[in-house]
Amino acid sequence: MQTTHMATPVLEVAHLEKVYGALGNVTRALNDVSFTVNRGEFVGIMGASGSGKSTLLNCVSTIDSATSGTIRINGQDVTRMKQAKLSQFRREELGFIFQDSNLLDTLTARENIALPLTIARTNSAEISTRVQDVAARLSISQVLDKYPYQMSGGQQQRVAAARALVTDPTMIMADEPTGALDSKSARLLLESLEALNRRLRATVLMVTHDSFAASYTSRVLFIRDGKIFTELRRGDTGRREFFDRIMEVVAMMGGEGSDAL
Amino acid sequence: MLCKLAWGNVRRAGRDYLVYLLTLTLGVTVFYAFNTISMQVDIAGIDEKGLAQVMGSMLGDLTYFLAGVMAFLMVYANNFIMKRRKKEFGLYQVLGMGRGRVATIMALETVIVSVVAFVAGIVLGVGLSQLMTFFTASLFKTQIANFHFFFSVHAFNLTLACMLVMFVLTLLLNLRAVRRTKLIELMGAERRNESIKTRNPWIAIAIFAVGVALVGVAYYRLLRDGFPLTATDSKLQEAMNQFGITTAMVAVGTFALFWGLSGMLIKLLQSLRGVYWRGLNMFTVRQLAAKVNTVCFSMGVIAMLLFLAITSVTCGMSIANVMNENLERYNPVDVSQTYVYYTPDTLDYYKEYVNPPEADRMVLADTTVDLYPAWHGDPWHGDRIDSDNVADGIKGKSADNNDETGKKVNIADVAGEHVQIDSYLSYPFGGSNPSVTPSEMCKTMGEKLPKAFGGSNADTMGLFVTPASQYNKLRQMMGEEPVHIGHDQYLLTCDMGGELVDMYTKYMAGGHALTLGGHTLKPATDKSDEDTAAIANSAMGSNPGTVVVADELLSQLNLQPYSSSLLVNYKQGMDTTEADESIKYTLLDNLLVDGKEPGSWGTFITRSEMYTQAAQMNGLISYLAIYIGFVLVVACAAILSIQQLSNVADGSRSYRVLAQIGCEDRQIRHSVMAQQAVFFLFPLAVGLAHSFVALKVIIELVSIFGNMSIGGTVGLTCAIFLAAYGGYFLVTYLMSAGMVQAAIATRYSE
Repeated sequence: MQTTHMATPVLEVAHLEKVYGALGNVTRALNDVSFTVNRGEFVGIMGASGSGKSTLLNCVSTIDSATSGTIRINGQDVTRMKQAKLSQFRREELGFIFQDSNLLDTLTARENIALPLTIARTNSAEISTRVQDVAARLSISQVLDKYPYQMSGGQQQRVAAARALVTDPTMIMADEPTGALDSKSARLLLESLEALNRRLRATVLMVTHDSFAASYTSRVLFIRDGKIFTELRRGDTGRREFFDRIMEVVAMMGGEGSDAL
Repeated sequence: MLCKLAWGNVRRAGRDYLVYLLTLTLGVTVFYAFNTISMQVDIAGIDEKGLAQVMGSMLGDLTYFLAGVMAFLMVYANNFIMKRRKKEFGLYQVLGMGRGRVATIMALETVIVSVVAFVAGIVLGVGLSQLMTFFTASLFKTQIANFHFFFSVHAFNLTLACMLVMFVLTLLLNLRAVRRTKLIELMGAERRNESIKTRNPWIAIAIFAVGVALVGVAYYRLLRDGFPLTATDSKLQEAMNQFGITTAMVAVGTFALFWGLSGMLIKLLQSLRGVYWRGLNMFTVRQLAAKVNTVCFSMGVIAMLLFLAITSVTCGMSIANVMNENLERYNPVDVSQTYVYYTPDTLDYYKEYVNPPEADRMVLADTTVDLYPAWHGDPWHGDRIDSDNVADGIKGKSADNNDETGKKVNIADVAGEHVQIDSYLSYPFGGSNPSVTPSEMCKTMGEKLPKAFGGSNADTMGLFVTPASQYNKLRQMMGEEPVHIGHDQYLLTCDMGGELVDMYTKYMAGGHALTLGGHTLKPATDKSDEDTAAIANSAMGSNPGTVVVADELLSQLNLQPYSSSLLVNYKQGMDTTEADESIKYTLLDNLLVDGKEPGSWGTFITRSEMYTQAAQMNGLISYLAIYIGFVLVVACAAILSIQQLSNVADGSRSYRVLAQIGCEDRQIRHSVMAQQAVFFLFPLAVGLAHSFVALKVIIELVSIFGNMSIGGTVGLTCAIFLAAYGGYFLVTYLMSAGMVQAAIATRYSE
């Protein structure tokens, strides 16, 4: 993936709709959402609570099903995949980072990171080297033999990131990855993600309501009431400047008491 | 308002409460059904009064035992649910609800669940007890003549009382939990459960090794030493102490084994890198390890309970089998009738205390009487009486009972081959001090008196003496070669089992002499006889010890007669049941010698009667063994089931994560299956291993009485148990799979 051209689309979302409920009590969480993410992009999705951003991520990451529309990842339409195929797809193409790190309590960091590989039946020698590599990249080599409860929140999140990366996924899905972290840990994690994106050209899709977190991305999609409201590209501007621009949009979007700060 | 909240809680926490409810219901069902056994026995047509009594007293004790098991189960289930509800109770307090009201809600919840469980349990119990009646009938080999629906008020009250006690107990425990626990702990309960206790794997392995070693040594000791029951008196105390040590070793070893199990498992699998780092193996092992650590104690308890269940069932049923097998030896002929002579002691007693005019008719027998010609009497037209009361019935016969038709019942009508065995006391006519006693014999050998003699009159009365011709005739009837006993020889016989026979054999093998009326006798063989030693038909043996001597010698000795038994086989081709019926209810004519009674008619026992009784006894033992075993097995399975379901509930987040990172549902289910298999199979394997060793020793012990075989009914019973245990395993797994599926599915709605 290091050598692929910048403009290759990895994710194409077209006319995506998601409707909850039935008959008379319908919530339209996503309403005709279309966008594209190219290989090597670091895209942020911002919106207030209830704007539909998490629903969008869940649909894209195949853990929720769309009502209508198509989602193509690497050219494959995931909305038409069977359950068993979806598991395989998730395993091979996607990496997940959640708000709470979602590490398994009973496993050490090393084992947590190795889990996607063992599930895919990679041979044990390869598992070992790949875990070491990814741990080194995220500077968590020293906590590999610790259990989650022995680590700080930031370390846990980076272990979760390592677990998402270890399979070399086509795309990393991050759902509020900094939500449960203090500002220092949040910055460390975001820098790691940024570095992954810059140096290894990993494609990252991150949902957040935090403008500071969003400022690490290269493009931000703003969602309101289930629709894409607008889009901001960072271009060549610095992070601080990009942050200011994001803040402006946020202020404009949520004049009436938005929690999206 | 509080009621509504409580009801809502019960409904919402349905799954958690379901386990509690099921356990409670199960307890009530089993408890009620168990306490209806006496009614079932009635309906199953088992009309043996003695049996009902024995059963009544045994059931009384067992009810306590059962209540104990039930209480343990319920407290366990209650703790399970409390652990899961802590946070909620904490939340109520945070929202400003007083502790008193929280406690009230909780009490109401307990009431709701208890009432539902009680009603459901009683309904199921009533159903179960009807079904069990058929099971009872088949075990006791009877026919149900008049089946009707029954409800036992007694059992109901007992169950209700038991439930109330347990209800109060759990309520107090819960209230204490709410009152004592700090709010922060209540709120953090869920989180706290997630932190896992890790143990140093090397220490765990060491402990595991110690456990295995302890159990191994204990096995070795048990196989070497056996049970202390076989030890002679002098070493009994020491043997008991040694056995205590062995038992403690097994118990400690079992717990150590489970304590160290997780560490051992992890290290073992980690050393197999290809296996450990493959699929969900690593997750499965870690998950197991985390749980084994917290439940190792209960796994140990379960292993021990299963051990108890398997051993008691196998043992109880096998002993019953052995009793059945010995029955043939105890009952060599179709029917036997004993006549007991008056001894100087009984005469004195009668003369002094009982009806002196009647005592005047009594006379001390200086010689035995021929019973065959004397056995005749009138048919009994009153209530039928069982063997125990025949003697009373005869005593009750008075001169005015003259409704006879003139036709006498005579033994000659049915008798084919027959023999009379006369037992004399080992002192001359009119004397009082026996010359051959077990304690004298033990003194000669320099050993202590076997415990079996303790409290019996076998020692004060001394051994019986019997003429060789009679003994050999019985042998002949039983198809054995006669034994030659010379003028200066003796043979010891006894059919009362292990210790006694061993002692007599030892005495003869040692070549020890017996002195009888100034004659010194040498053993005729080197082994005492137990196969043809019966004096009369009996349930458990009739001959505590007899010296067989040559006829001429016996007549010279002029010993005091004690009893005579007529042992009769029916005529060839005669129907046994008909023959039994034709002579069973007879009032025997008084046996008079020169107008005086030398003794009185004693027990009349038909072989078929003994067989029926044995079948019932066998039924009783099997019944209780199966019941106890079943209760234990079900209790174990229920505990395991609760544990596993709670594990799955605790781990639902993990399963969701696994699904999210692309693990197929099938793989997750396999992991759950593997985890539960370990929890169900390990205690079973350990329990089986213990049982195997214990049974090996028990078989050796019981084989003193006869050859014990494990098979047939025992095999079937074990199969039923395994089916019940396996059924629990299966249901637990299916429920868990459902819970996992639900946990995975919740990702869609989040």
